[in-house]
Amino acid sequence: MFIVMIIYYFISAYIAGMLIWNFVREKKDMQQMLLYLIVLVPLVLRIFHIR
Amino acid sequence: MVLHIGIILAIMILAYAWAGWKKLSVELCMLASAVAGGLAGAFIKTPPIGALARHLIEGTFTYLDVILVFTTATIFIAIVAESGGVNYVVRGIIKAFYRKRIIALLLLMVVILIPGALTGAGSVSILTVGAPSALALGYLGISKKKVTAILFIIAGLSAAAPPVNIWAMIVSAGTAIPYVGFELPLGIPVIVLGTFSMLVLGWKREEKKELEEILKEMPEVPDKMTWWRVLLPFLVFFGLIIVARIRPFSFPILGLPLEFTIAGIIALLVSPKKINILILSRDTVKLLLPLLATMAVVGSLQQIMTATGVRGMISYAVISMPLILLYFLLIIIIPFSEGILTYGGAAIIGIPLVWMLDSIGLHATVVIAGLSLLWPLGDGLPPTALIGRLSVMMADYKGSYWSFLKATWIPWIVITIVGILMIIFSAKLAFLVRWSM
Amino acid sequence: MSRNSMIKTVSVIIFAVLTTWSGIQFYQHRHYQLPIVAGPGVTKVVKLSDYCAGLKGTMADTHVFFLQGKEEGGKILIIANTHSNEPVAILSALVMIENARVEKGTVIIIPQFNNSGSRNTKPGDGYPLFFDVPTGWGSKKFRMGNRNASPLDQWPDPDVYVHYPERQLLSYLDVRNTNRTWPGRSDGPLMEKVTYAAMQLLREEHVDLAIDIHGAETMFPVTNCIVAPDKSMRIATIASMTVTAMEGFENHVEPSPKGFRGLSHREIGDYSDTLPFLLEAPTPFLDQPTGPKTVDLLLKGKDPFILSLSKQKKLFVPYDKSGWPMEKRVGQHCSVVLEIMHQYSMKNPDRAILVSNAPHYADLVKNGVGHYFHNPNEAKKGSLYFN
Ligand SMILES: [Zn+2]
Repeated sequence: MFIVMIIYYFISAYIAGMLIWNFVREKKDMQQMLLYLIVLVPLVLRIFHIR
Repeated sequence: MVLHIGIILAIMILAYAWAGWKKLSVELCMLASAVAGGLAGAFIKTPPIGALARHLIEGTFTYLDVILVFTTATIFIAIVAESGGVNYVVRGIIKAFYRKRIIALLLLMVVILIPGALTGAGSVSILTVGAPSALALGYLGISKKKVTAILFIIAGLSAAAPPVNIWAMIVSAGTAIPYVGFELPLGIPVIVLGTFSMLVLGWKREEKKELEEILKEMPEVPDKMTWWRVLLPFLVFFGLIIVARIRPFSFPILGLPLEFTIAGIIALLVSPKKINILILSRDTVKLLLPLLATMAVVGSLQQIMTATGVRGMISYAVISMPLILLYFLLIIIIPFSEGILTYGGAAIIGIPLVWMLDSIGLHATVVIAGLSLLWPLGDGLPPTALIGRLSVMMADYKGSYWSFLKATWIPWIVITIVGILMIIFSAKLAFLVRWSM
Repeated sequence: MSRNSMIKTVSVIIFAVLTTWSGIQFYQHRHYQLPIVAGPGVTKVVKLSDYCAGLKGTMADTHVFFLQGKEEGGKILIIANTHSNEPVAILSALVMIENARVEKGTVIIIPQFNNSGSRNTKPGDGYPLFFDVPTGWGSKKFRMGNRNASPLDQWPDPDVYVHYPERQLLSYLDVRNTNRTWPGRSDGPLMEKVTYAAMQLLREEHVDLAIDIHGAETMFPVTNCIVAPDKSMRIATIASMTVTAMEGFENHVEPSPKGFRGLSHREIGDYSDTLPFLLEAPTPFLDQPTGPKTVDLLLKGKDPFILSLSKQKKLFVPYDKSGWPMEKRVGQHCSVVLEIMHQYSMKNPDRAILVSNAPHYADLVKNGVGHYFHNPNEAKKGSLYFN
């Protein structure tokens, strides 16, 4: 059970990583950049075991 | 207090309109509305200004599970598509059933229904099998407008289909009604309405091409692609779900995101083509961004609406309506609540509505099933129009959004009638729930 | 630096600041320790993990207060905050812990049953993180929790929750709901361990009665009532009739549905010799059609929309301009708990549970809830517990 929970933190981190990668690559569309940040928020707080 | 809430609601609507006028995307319009509502509320300490950021951010957690399911599911199907699996299946269907057109249509319906049924998200259906299905439907001689309409309606039904129906789950959880017994009350109408819609929209062959010509036009499939390579990842996925049901006490709880991840890894391993998973994931997340952002922002909007009392006021307005009027207005309220709030509509209006209808003797489970036929229609309505927009994108339809939406009118009306009748006659349909268990 | 990367940097900073600021608030909420002053009746305090080792060191572990009488007698377990967004329960439990004296028998109280849930918030529902109850010495600060345990302690949820051992299918969320995971098992998900530990406590201590305290929506049919299975029905009925007749508040009995698994009033009865009861008191804060979810609404229960719905006869409880203040709800729970004990003691004199110095409905309505809480700063050494 515990291992599955750890895997979920990895899955979250993987998705967060993809969002950050896209955010960094995005050079033109400001709106898209904001959206990447918004989706990142819950993932980051989860990964840091805050909420 | 009521006046204050009314003013806050007005400010939220104005902020939305302003953001739309400034050409911001739907997600940012919703965010603007949430922030403006929160600030307006802070003037009378609902919520206190110090808690505003926390409310906005806490809201993004509302659908975090859904975000994880969407992402892992879409990456999984993207792998299958990239490996040539999806094209392989479409090609197979066209080859075998080109001359048996009705069967081909129904098979494609099943193909579109499955991803949404499994994940509860019609968008997953569109994102995964939408493009190839649209191609196949085109080869069967259906116009792009009608193909878009088919994608939208069938994907909507797929989201309502069992085993996973997120609207029903949200309402069930909020009303303390167990999420059980939905298989038949949802499954039967979905199959019947899906078949009906498919035939209505796809019956007419608008242009005729020879099979040879079509097969030549279709995207190439890697030589090494075989049935088992396509099937294996899906078998693993279904296998995990089924084992979790059969041996729930000895098998660890994996959850949908991990089940999709495992299936994705299998698909990656059996793919005849080398796939760069990092690039594929990155691009999939980019493709999914509007959807993920919608889920995050809708949660914030919902949280602000609750913290300011706007949500309560809307919910109040719906349940204090006279019953007959309510039945008529549900036709509009339910889809529009979905169009504005996506899943938030199920919580705000669905939960108190089901309690109320339950207390006047209707059968809650069937009522929820009936309602969840209406909710997906709202996914074609602005401002979010999630599934509608995706359908237009995947079918590569160039006409105006409204012209496509108009093409859905017959299925739309029939689905609405079936949903409303299920609600009104829910007590008589309760046997469907019993038979499901 | 180009204009775009400028905007990019600035937006990252803004998001980082807002996320950190909120993160600190979430952290403070999750780690806030509620002081509980063990009153004169408390004789022993243990942890729930003493009954299920799997809870040790987790956020789900919680205190169990024993109030043992001088004379042997029956035993009762009072469970509060099974749902931590129904804080009427913990307030009632603390009134007991901080004040009651037991003359005969044993009263066992778990004030924060779903401890993980009490450290969780309810996204989308706009709750306050804390609420303060005014007392004679200042105010006492409580965490406002969620119905379900925190995903930080139990993650992920299954596709669908299969109830152990009855195999009924429940919503995936219910795997974190300690009123769906009864009777639980020692090696199941964390919340099943919590209920399993309570079952072990009931069995090992030979507990006669178990009362699970809740709050419910005014639009929900099961409120202002005692929920009881067949075996507890007689006592529930007499207790309910007595409080209605003698103490001046409305109460009725609801039978525990046989086909709805995982609830305390179902499984405790089916899987142990204990007689279970579940109490509900109206909590307008939980209703969907209300104004803002403020501390005021939580404590006073006054809301214009609920009032209007009451006039439309859409509520299941009487409701007027005075709202449904917390002291009334806590008072109802205290009175019903005492009455159930009383009725049981009359029927089973050798297993009697006699309690003194516990306030009734009228006392709470007169004095308010805060009156019964003691200043933790002046607590006797060794009598202060944090939960
Ligand atoms: Zn409860």
